[in-house]
Amino acid sequence: MSGEKLLVVEDEAHIAEVVCDNLALEGYEVRTCADGNEALEQVRQWRPDLVLLDVMLPGLDGFAVCARLRAEQDQVPILFLTARGAPDDRVRGLELGGDDFLAKPFELRELVLRVRAILKRTRWMQSPHPAGDRLKLGDCVVDFKTFQVSRQGTSTELSPKETLILRALAERPGEVVSRSEILDRVWGYDAFPTTRTIDNFIVRLRRMIEDDPQNPRYIHTVRGTGYRLTP
Amino acid sequence: MVRGPRRKLYTYMAVTVLYALVIAWWIVFFSRQDEILLGRMQRLGAELTPAQSRALTEATDDSMRMFAFEGAFLGLLLAASVVLVLRSLHREIALQSSQKNMLSAFTHELKSPIASAKLYLESLHQGRVEPDKRERYLAHAREDLERLHRLVDEMLLTARMQSVSPQLTLEEHDLAHLVERGVQNVQSDPAVATLAIQLDLRGPLPVRADPRSIETVLRNLLSNAHKYGGASSRVDISVGCLGRDAFLKVRDRGPGLRGQDPRALFEPFVRGGEKLVSDQPGSGLGLYFVSELAKAHRGRVTAREAPAASGGGLEVDLRLPLADGAAATREGDRA
Repeated sequence: MSGEKLLVVEDEAHIAEVVCDNLALEGYEVRTCADGNEALEQVRQWRPDLVLLDVMLPGLDGFAVCARLRAEQDQVPILFLTARGAPDDRVRGLELGGDDFLAKPFELRELVLRVRAILKRTRWMQSPHPAGDRLKLGDCVVDFKTFQVSRQGTSTELSPKETLILRALAERPGEVVSRSEILDRVWGYDAFPTTRTIDNFIVRLRRMIEDDPQNPRYIHTVRGTGYRLTP
Repeated sequence: MVRGPRRKLYTYMAVTVLYALVIAWWIVFFSRQDEILLGRMQRLGAELTPAQSRALTEATDDSMRMFAFEGAFLGLLLAASVVLVLRSLHREIALQSSQKNMLSAFTHELKSPIASAKLYLESLHQGRVEPDKRERYLAHAREDLERLHRLVDEMLLTARMQSVSPQLTLEEHDLAHLVERGVQNVQSDPAVATLAIQLDLRGPLPVRADPRSIETVLRNLLSNAHKYGGASSRVDISVGCLGRDAFLKVRDRGPGLRGQDPRALFEPFVRGGEKLVSDQPGSGLGLYFVSELAKAHRGRVTAREAPAASGGGLEVDLRLPLADGAAATREGDRA
């Protein structure tokens, strides 16, 4: 889809120019800025659909920009572009709420594909759920629009990733959804080094949804494959 | 802390504790010798005359004094070795951490021009560039490769500086003369040639210096004055002495420190007080080299904002110790 707004935050003028030109050729509306504080302002005012964020920036660095936005409950998708490609940096960026990570130097084609993939995931998350915006699991109600789980009068906030995992399972009730499929739909194919990350998210979801998380009634583990939701 | 030195530190601390325990046991053992001896004699039923008892006490007192002295000496030796080893480990940790930071900074600096040159060429190769932009893309890719070339040269120089302290030929020279000659040589650089340099040389100032290093210092300082000196091309270079040091001050009329910590300017990859500002060519290593060369001359370098009343700007002040004997004769000749 064209016309989506992308903000490129990059202090290297040459990289910013060539990335911008190429994304504009793909039909996106692109703006650039060169420092962290300006990036925050642009995100708040221009409301981009995706931020391509360099990590080493003058002023406020990319990790701090991401952390600040997430603290403000701003869930704008973030793709980190950085020369710091060490596993620790990748994990840190993703833990702070980044959506994907691309190490410099990268291929143009890969950049474009990742941008498309993130925007596709975002559109999927924002699109209406086939069975409605609410999922009822016993006395527990999940609202995909407000990212909330209500149960016996109390409601708990879900993170976007938790919501997406539940949604991926709820779209095919009774069927097995593999870990790699969840990883692909929720994070992008190689964002995380291990599929075990999903298992941790499932543990958290069971605590919110199940009466007895040790003996789950709704979210079942299918050994060696993935998970199945039985409403 | 880095893993290697930490393991060494723990091993060393364990060995030190063991030594301290052995010394403590040794002191306790010997201090109880008279009690043990008396106990044994009592068990054997031996009776000591008052004179024998006095002689025994005196003998054990003498031994005690000797053991106390030896114990204190060993304790001091142990304490001194702890200080020496801790100091050496601290230096090793600082060096490893500085090398790690340097490597990480170099990695970032190298990957950026590689990434942009690659993207420009890939765009050109895929025919995705509008005709009016092709020349600009090529020019930018070439600039990236030149930046990469400069960086590699500077990395090699840094590696040489860090592995063996720079191989300088330190001989006695007149700093005023070195600066005068250095400025003449550096002015062949087209960027430096545009500067209006005012020289104030108060020599002779005998210092132990390497002429080529002084020229490198001048080249870097004048190149910075050209890049960050703002609209005014005026640069003042003054050479004189203050106390036991000779000084070389280079001052531009630019925006000065802009609120930045002056010490940060001498860290690698800091440009114009702000990290990774790329609107000016350069690697951000110039002032770092100046500081390393100053250290290799047993000198130091500082930066400060010149008073606004006299036109402002940034003043970099290099101090080198005056050669032996020269400082004494120059007392009172304060600049």
